[in-house]
Amino acid sequence: MTYALIRAARLDLDEFAAAAGVHPDLIRRFVALGILDASRDPGGRLWFTAGQLSAVARIQRLRAGFALNYAAIGLVTDLLDQIAVLQAALRRAGRPER
Amino acid sequence: MAASERDFYRVLGVPRNASQEEIQQVYRRLARTYHPDVNHDPGAEERFKDVSEAYDVLSDPETRRRYDTFGPDFRQVPEDVDPETWRRARARAGAGRAGAGGAGQAGRRGGPGSSAGFGDVNIEDLLGGMFGGGRAGRGWGPIPGADQTAEIEVTVEEAYHGTRRTISLAGPGGTRTLDVTIPPGVTDGQRIRLAGQGGRGSDGAPPGDLYLIAVIAPDPVYRLEGRDLHVELRLAPWEAALGTSVAVSTPGGEAKVKVPAGTSSGRRLRLRGRGLPNPRGKPGDLYAETRIMVPARPTKAEHEAFERLAAVSDFDPRRPR
Repeated sequence: MTYALIRAARLDLDEFAAAAGVHPDLIRRFVALGILDASRDPGGRLWFTAGQLSAVARIQRLRAGFALNYAAIGLVTDLLDQIAVLQAALRRAGRPER
Repeated sequence: MAASERDFYRVLGVPRNASQEEIQQVYRRLARTYHPDVNHDPGAEERFKDVSEAYDVLSDPETRRRYDTFGPDFRQVPEDVDPETWRRARARAGAGRAGAGGAGQAGRRGGPGSSAGFGDVNIEDLLGGMFGGGRAGRGWGPIPGADQTAEIEVTVEEAYHGTRRTISLAGPGGTRTLDVTIPPGVTDGQRIRLAGQGGRGSDGAPPGDLYLIAVIAPDPVYRLEGRDLHVELRLAPWEAALGTSVAVSTPGGEAKVKVPAGTSSGRRLRLRGRGLPNPRGKPGDLYAETRIMVPARPTKAEHEAFERLAAVSDFDPRRPR
């Protein structure tokens, strides 16, 4: 199978916020709180990848489901990510694989 | 929605006289257990939704009282109705269809024209209950659904040839079934993505994806390492000493393994490309690991032959090499 060599689509703040269905200020706040990764170009503009939309959705779900504040959401998402890595490792260790 | 449990106390697993504190305690614990971002099991979302809906009603003393009085359809009952009057009206109307009397305040959200039939709850209500939780997060707008994962066990044979599976998932309105094609050459732990089959989004937002994680079942014959298959190849001492050609069974059919003369136990004989196929490159290999077996109860003739061999041979397997 071959893949076309294309750069992963970058979205700027407004495009990303529109795709996520939220206000750009909220996205900017997520970035400032360190719960959403973004790259900054030399001009200071924020850039995102389309894959990060699911991260925004998760932040919203956690906020709505648990009434967490954003600092707590940062902790929860970090822990969930770590657990996912550990579970994958556990799965590999549980059965001989590669 | 008929599949949904309508007894909110049973949903939370609390007695009808539970205190508000008790209800909150149970809800918090269940919400942490079944939140779609914590529990990726496809059934968890439905449970989370039910739990949230139950808590939405029981956490507020006023709605709880109305629920206790009028039952699951309390939202169809006008705010100012007298419980006694209502009970009588219901009895008169017979079982089932007691249309909401005063249309003015029917439903929490739906106006008089809202089509929600008696005993029904419309989908926005459920999804709103799911992520809204009543108090937190109203006004969030659409939120895409979470990704879900489920394990799917396949045998080595199925991993080799590929297979089809019908899986059942808990979903809105009961279970739904999906026909899933497992491609040939799936490896242990590999994720198969079913786009859009994960958790539902709220307010029309897109659903998440469902990831099936392939788990290869332990096999009595084959051991799997990635795409490489390992089998045991048992040999008689003379076969190992003199060399031979043996048929071994592989998931793709029988294959001939050439055993060179002078083979000891533990030698791995490779059959290139006879492991699991790889849709994106080189297939795995099959390794036949030799293991020399002797007759547990040799016949007299065998016994004598081994004795003659022992007498003429100066081979010492323990001599340092």
